[in-house]
Amino acid sequence: MNIQKLNACMDILKKDLGEGFVGSCILTTEDGQVLVATDQANIAEATLLNDATAFIRNALKTYPAELGQYYYVDVAGNMAVLVIPFGDYQWTITINKKLVKLGLLLNVVLPAIINAFEDAVVS
Amino acid sequence: MGGDVKKDFKLIIDNEDLDSMPAADAGIKDELQRWPLFGLSVGSFLQVIAMERQTCIMEVYLSANYWGHFCFVEGELYDAVYGDLNGETAAMEMISWENVRLNIKQILNTSGVVRKIDKNLMLLLMESSRRHDEGQENGDHPDRADVDDLEDMEVIASDVERAKLGACLNIMSKDMDDALIAASIANINEGKVMASYHSVPETAEAFLRLTKYMKNAFSANTTDNLGDHFILDLKDQQTLVVLIIGEHQWCIVFNNAKCTLGLLRNIIMPKVIKTFNEMSIG
Repeated sequence: MNIQKLNACMDILKKDLGEGFVGSCILTTEDGQVLVATDQANIAEATLLNDATAFIRNALKTYPAELGQYYYVDVAGNMAVLVIPFGDYQWTITINKKLVKLGLLLNVVLPAIINAFEDAVVS
Repeated sequence: MGGDVKKDFKLIIDNEDLDSMPAADAGIKDELQRWPLFGLSVGSFLQVIAMERQTCIMEVYLSANYWGHFCFVEGELYDAVYGDLNGETAAMEMISWENVRLNIKQILNTSGVVRKIDKNLMLLLMESSRRHDEGQENGDHPDRADVDDLEDMEVIASDVERAKLGACLNIMSKDMDDALIAASIANINEGKVMASYHSVPETAEAFLRLTKYMKNAFSANTTDNLGDHFILDLKDQQTLVVLIIGEHQWCIVFNNAKCTLGLLRNIIMPKVIKTFNEMSIG
């Protein structure tokens, strides 16, 4: 994994989301340890969502369906969290939902950062 | 009421008749198994017919002196007949019947069918529920042997609520057409699935557990509380939206190539939630 490119992913995110960006962190799904985090990242929340992803995958087995590229959790107040599970890693992005349009987040920002992250992982 | 009738589907209330049916009637037995509806009220059956957009006559038998029928055209209730009554009056009499036997006849030609009921089925169900509640407050006792204790009243109230929730899913399925893959509405506190559309109960229950887990985890481990929805991108162009409205949780799975998330969130769901709120469910 290329750490510089990983940090560059965060920079892309901050730039694309502007004032709507609150915090972000990338952790390993195996042990929930943080690889990269921004200043305002909510580590407790990210760790909790790592467990939630496993819960979701199990819940979907009953349907049956498989989790795709992301899930989005609305949080009471102004915040929302976008979670991108990448197998061994999970990227959690907290946004101010009043300042970031969901369409922009899912259709513009998400594809860009997924490409950037995959590039960082294979480098 | 006219119309050509094609064939009968005998519905059963219990499995006794089905189990004792001779092997020679295997075809009929198979047909019976296509209608695993028993232990529901007339209101619930009406919802099923409406949701399936059936064109049929639904005959209802409560006892020798209590029987009649409803007429549906493409899921819309056109008429009802009970004794000397017809139209809305007959429908209102029969809607609250419990433990009925049913016979459903498909209508091939609807040219002779005259529409005598203009009211939406949902409104009739709500009106029936209101009259029922008023009857209880006034100490009236319906002249039916099967509705004579509190437990039965609770069953009816529960069925009416299920019917209302079913109507919400019906609106959604009409708006989304084949984009809607599955949907369910569950009571979060009771952990029960109240209404579903092509949904697996285990999935709805699993997502009820997930919501409880997320709520507890958020409040215990963070300064934030879970909001009122989450969205899951699924493989094969599917999206799952979980909405938490009061004490109910909605799970909606749809094909995101046929219906966008924006359309669901901004057009369809507000309409459905408006109906949901107008019904004062929960």
